[in-house]
Order: sequence, then C-alpha cells, then structure tokens
Amino acid sequence: MTIASTERGAGKAVLANILGRFAPIVVFAALLFLFGAIQPSFLSAYSLRVLAGESSIILVLAIGQTLVILLGGIDLSMAALASLTSVLLALALPVAGAPGLIGVLLLATLIGAAQGYIHARAQIPSFIVTLAGMGLFSGAALVIGHTTIILQGGYEAVSWLSGRILGVPRPFAFAVGLLLVLLAALRWLPLGRHIYAIGLGELGALLSGVKVARTKIAVFAVSGLCAGLAGMMFVARTHSGNPTIADSLLLPSIAAVVVGGSAITGGVGGLMRTLVGTLTIGVLRVGMAVVGLDPAYEPIAYGILIAGAVAFTIDRSKTGIVK
Amino acid sequence: MTAPVLRVEGLSKAFPGLKALDDVSMEIRPHEVVGLVGENGAGKSTLLKVLAGLYAPDSGRILVRAEEVRLKSVAHAAENGVGMVFQEQSLLPNITVAENIMLGHEDDAIRYGVYDWPKLFGLARAQLAKVGSTIDPSAQTDSLSFGERQVVELAKVLTLEERTRHEPVILLDEPTSVLEAEEVEMVLRQIRRLRERASVVFISHRLDEVLEVADRVYVMTGGRCVAERDRASCNVAELQELMLGHELSDEYGRRAQDRPALAGEARLSLRDLSSGHHFRNISFDVRRSEILGIAGVGGSGREEVCRAIFGARDFEAGEIRLDGKPVRFADPSEAVASGVSFLPSERRTEGIIGGLSVRENMTLAHLSSIMRGPFIDRSKEKQLARRWIDRLSIKTRDAETQVGLLSGGNQQKVALTKWLIADNPKIFILDHPMRGLDVGAKAEIFGLIRDVSKAGIGIVLIADTLDELIALSDTIIVMRDGVITGRFDSRDTPPTQLQILEHMI
Repeated sequence: MTIASTERGAGKAVLANILGRFAPIVVFAALLFLFGAIQPSFLSAYSLRVLAGESSIILVLAIGQTLVILLGGIDLSMAALASLTSVLLALALPVAGAPGLIGVLLLATLIGAAQGYIHARAQIPSFIVTLAGMGLFSGAALVIGHTTIILQGGYEAVSWLSGRILGVPRPFAFAVGLLLVLLAALRWLPLGRHIYAIGLGELGALLSGVKVARTKIAVFAVSGLCAGLAGMMFVARTHSGNPTIADSLLLPSIAAVVVGGSAITGGVGGLMRTLVGTLTIGVLRVGMAVVGLDPAYEPIAYGILIAGAVAFTIDRSKTGIVK
Repeated sequence: MTAPVLRVEGLSKAFPGLKALDDVSMEIRPHEVVGLVGENGAGKSTLLKVLAGLYAPDSGRILVRAEEVRLKSVAHAAENGVGMVFQEQSLLPNITVAENIMLGHEDDAIRYGVYDWPKLFGLARAQLAKVGSTIDPSAQTDSLSFGERQVVELAKVLTLEERTRHEPVILLDEPTSVLEAEEVEMVLRQIRRLRERASVVFISHRLDEVLEVADRVYVMTGGRCVAERDRASCNVAELQELMLGHELSDEYGRRAQDRPALAGEARLSLRDLSSGHHFRNISFDVRRSEILGIAGVGGSGREEVCRAIFGARDFEAGEIRLDGKPVRFADPSEAVASGVSFLPSERRTEGIIGGLSVRENMTLAHLSSIMRGPFIDRSKEKQLARRWIDRLSIKTRDAETQVGLLSGGNQQKVALTKWLIADNPKIFILDHPMRGLDVGAKAEIFGLIRDVSKAGIGIVLIADTLDELIALSDTIIVMRDGVITGRFDSRDTPPTQLQILEHMI
C-alpha cells in the first residue's frame, strides 16, 4: 500500500495548514493589542494610518516575492531593483514625465523577466541568479545615481500616490489594489494554477504539459514590475531617488511572506496571507517606535518571527530532509 | 510452539479521515517469513511503519521478545532488533555501498576521526556476504541497479545483528514491486536466506511470490487483519478472495472477442528513432485503437523511447509521425497540445502533484477545456471533477482532497483522468500504469486502458509483468540493449512468456 508513506505527512500537512492559516492572524491581533495596551494611542486612527502608509511599500515588494516563493524560488534582487528604479525615475521624470514612468516600469519588468529567463533556461537556482542581480542593480544604482537625487520636476506623474482616498493613505490603497488584481489572477488564470503546480511538484507539472520555463519568466517579470512600483512609491513619497533607499526592505518583505504563512518551499500559501504578514511586520515596526523601543531590536524581532513562522508552515513531509 | 519474537495486540492507528489500523493482532516467530497481503489502503505499510517506530499507535501493545515496548523512533526500534527496508529506497546515491551499509554505526571503521577505508570495506563486505552478495562495497551506490540496491538495503538492515545481539526482525515493504523479473528472483532468494538468521515480515502484491517465500500469510482489509493462513493450506485464489471479500473473475480473461478492429493509417509512426546508446533504429506503428506493448528489462531503452515520443527527452536521429504528420516536440507541453498523453512510471513525483487537490490534478493538463474567456470556469471545473470521480469510482472524500492523501490505486485513477478529459487525444503512452497497485485496482485500470483504446486512441504500453503485457497488447515488440529484438502479433495467437523472454535477455 503506497498511501501510508504520505499519511503521516497528511496529518502534519493538515495541522500545518490550519496553523498556517490562522496563527498569523492571531499573532497579528496579539501584537496589535499588545502595543495598544502599552500605548493606547497606538490604536488611534492616526497611528493606524501611519501603519498602513509604512506598510505599503513593503506590501508591494512582498506581493512580488509571494509569487516567486509560491513557485518555489526566491527573489533577492527586488529591493536593489526598487532602489535602482527610484534613481532612474528621479532622472527620467523631469525630462519624460508619465511616459518616462511607464518606460522605467517596463524596464524593471524586463529586468525581472531576464532574471527569470536565466533562472529557467540556464537552470541556475533563483537564489543565485537574484543574488547576482542584487549586486548588479545595487552597483548600477550607485554608479548612475551616486547619492540622493532630488526630483527636479515631473512629480505630476506620481503625485496621484500622495494623500488619502476614503481616509486611507493612497500608497496603501494602491498596494491593496495591486494585491486584489494578482489575487484574482492566481485564482482564475491558468498561470496561477501553474504557479502552484510548479511549486508543489515541478516534474509533475512539466510532464502534465505545463510550460514551466514560461511560467517562471512571467513570475519574475511580475516581481520585477513590483520592484519598479516600489521604487515609484519611494519617489512619490520622498520626491527623490536614492541608490540605497529600498535596500533595507529586502528582509522585511521576505519576512512578510513567511510570517503570513506561505511555505518557503513553494506551492503553499497566497497573497491574503502576505497581507496579514505585511501588517504584522508593520505593527512591529511602528509599534516598537511608539512604545519607545530601540530600533536596534527590530531585526531581532524579525528573526524570531521568521523562525517561528517557518517552523509552523514548512511541510516537512515534502522535503524529508531540511537543508 | 516457540515464543514469538514480535507480537502485537489490538493495534489501532487513525489518520485524519481514515482508520488505517483497526485492532490488529499478530505475531512473528523466530526464523519465520511472514507475508502480509491486502489491497492498497488495507493498512499493511502503516502496520510495518508502526513496528519500525515511525508511527506511534493510538492504542494497542507491541511486545518484543515478550517485553512490552513503546517504539519511539526508527533508531529505538533498531535497538530492539527491528529494522525496516522502505518502499522508497533510503540509500544515499552519491556515496559508496560500504558507507551506506555502515551509515550510522561506522564507529569501528573510524580511526583518528577519519574513515579507515579498508576496514570499512571489510565490514561492509561481511554484511554483504550474509546475503550471499558479491557487490563491490567500494562501488558508488547510484551505479547499482535497482535490484542490487535492494540487496544492499537487506545487507544494511542485517547490521542489526551485531548491534543488538538478537536475531533481528526485518520488515520489507514491497521489496519486489518495482523490479524486473530476473531481479525479483534474486531478491526472493535473499529473503529465503534471511530465514536462517532473522525473522522477516514482507508486503507484496504478487501473491504467487508470497506463497513461494512465506511460511505464513496474514491478510488485511480495511485496516483489519482478517485472516491468517499457513502456506501449505492456501493458494493464490483463496488469498485473492480473502483480500477482496469476493471471488475474482479471471481478470485477464476478456480477450480478442471484445477488441475493436484495427484499421486505417497509423496514428503514431516511429522510423529509425535513435539516441546515443539509449536506443537505436526504433521503428514501429500504432494504429487507431491498437495497444502496442513494449517488453524489455531495465536498461533496454523502452522508457527512454516513450519519453522521447512525449518530448520529455531529446533524440538524435529518426522521425516521429503523428497521424501522418512529422512532429518533434521540444517539451511535453507541445506533445500535450498535439494530443499525446503520457502516464509516467513514477506516480508520486511525476504522475500526480500530491499537494494539489483531486480537481486541480485532473484539469492541470487541459485547463483550456474549462476556460471561459481567459479565466478558469471553476464551477465547470468542479462539475467535471465530480463527474470523473463518479465515473471511475475514485475513493476520495471530495474533489478538494489533496491527491497525496489517496491510496495508490486512486492516485493512479486521478493521474489517468488528467489525460482522459482531453477533447481529442490521439496517443496515450502508459509507463508502468499498474505499478504498485493491488489486484482490485489493477483490474480496474486494466479495464480502463481497454476502454480508452476503443475510443480510437493508440496506446503504447510498458507493463509491469509479461502476463499483463500479453493480456492487454494487440502487438508486442521486445527491446534489448536499445534495439528491437522481436515483434509479435498478440491478437489472435498471443506469444508465451518464454517466447518473449528469449528476446529480452
């Protein structure tokens, strides 16, 4: 009987599934009320808006990262690409305006697709390709931008990202809108089904006629676009571009995916989980500032959260041995 | 009567939605080979895994040499002299045979913190000698055949003797299910030899080999142990009856009378297909409704030919025609788009995606048939999944259950459905479609293959046994060392197994 070997995995998978689904929400709510109890003003409309605003760029990065992680890969280059995009936009917007914005976003998408192409066609692990990409884009951003470039006009192209809509910071509304679009794509487009299939069993997907390489390229193109959009949001927020501005968001954006309950091994999870994960990271960031903790504790908190989240969500029955 | 070395009483184990073991009691006596038979999902593997310390039972007692134990882990079971050879082989491919055999207890072969290689090889050779094997302990493990690796697994388990000072109890989960005929014989011989120094429990779906090797047989159905028989007092038919709870009509009986006429142009033609040393000058035709069986041992190149047709591997020379048109698929997606289907031999890694639901697996290859505009029509998809679950009587809680949770036979039905939902399939390549399935599931898949062929689809079949191949095929070709060595028209006067074997080896 061949079923038995999967049965124990099944029991665990069911448990991991339940934990993966609900634990993140519980953690989020617990943190929210913990900080609220220490500092009641933390739950005010004002600080919740700050929380949303602070979370919006991480959310956009985490959305792209989620798709790559669902595929079973990882994109380490997103934050560097976002920084590079901010530099390019600071240079392009004054001369080219909105068409310049579209051009730069297109370029970011192409760069993502190129990474996907190298990963899929040359059979190089995404970890390596995007690690190289991270170095490349960081370097390019520094060579091109040197330092902060104040936007000398052309802000109209991104001004729609400032202010609020229905009381919600516009960047956050934009990020959630992006999330909903991709959520629908994952659910109703064959591409979405293929992403999950590849993440759970690449060989099985390949032998079912799934265009694996094409799917990977498409996903990395989307993560490139998300990086570009994050760069755009930085420019809208700071009226400037900076070659390292997004770099510190790489860890939190990956943490957001994992803390939300998507499995780092691929195929399990989704964008709603990433929303919860991003807000959890946001509560942590803002909350620690509100209660007056040294920001140095922030990475320590990420570390604990990530390890805890992975312990809950990883499906050990699938990997057997964890490297 | 001698006291049992291993005894279980009232063992139960449940998994979510499934009672895998239900009040099972049995005993294993010294120097005894015990066969464990039952359908897929009867609880056989679960029972062995409980005995090996992998699963904790929900209730019941395990007694090793009359002492009650709670086996906490595989290592703990090993300390008690119980060792298991798993269905999925557990040897590490990239190290030597000796390292594998001594893995975990290589202390005696370590000097100054590093391997004393001659000593290590010597210790391993001694273990291999116990099973009468002359496999070179310094060989890289992945250079061995599947059957040889199975023998290495046996030798590895026998290290228990030195470690526990007891005669070990060895648990074998389908040691022969994926082996070719001549290797099966080798492994069975080893099991018989083991009787001198150990007790053995082994699972097999091949009832004739169980009766050949085992002293006693336990029959399981639905998690319960329903019968115990001495070898002398039972036969294959009785075991089948006990397993199924009813008498099995001659499963391979229906033959030419209900086969459709083969007529018309070839659906699939291969002309001089060659790929290095894997296969050379392979030519054959498959007509509408024809089932073409390929016989051959491991390494004959038949699997590679099948994968080359499907675009899953490259070939160097020759031509493939599909309904008269030359094709060359760069990858499987092109083959699927052209109406070629492929059921791979590795069900769990290639045939299905265990983490996806029944529904998602069924539609994965043909999402285009359930699209509305650019979107997946999910309600149509659900209907389709439910329809096929009914049509093939797939045992699953519902269409949303993960396929990995189903039994082997039901997984295989889902893997088949993935291709059966196609609008206009032309060719179906089946690589070991009945591997690891029990009698009942086999008969069902058997009937299914015949039904599929009646719809005008050409079938290329690699079967597990010559029995199955002869019973199903209209035409049989035999491959050896990458070339075709024999052809038989199997329709009216089927060849005997011996005739085919002559060309295989």
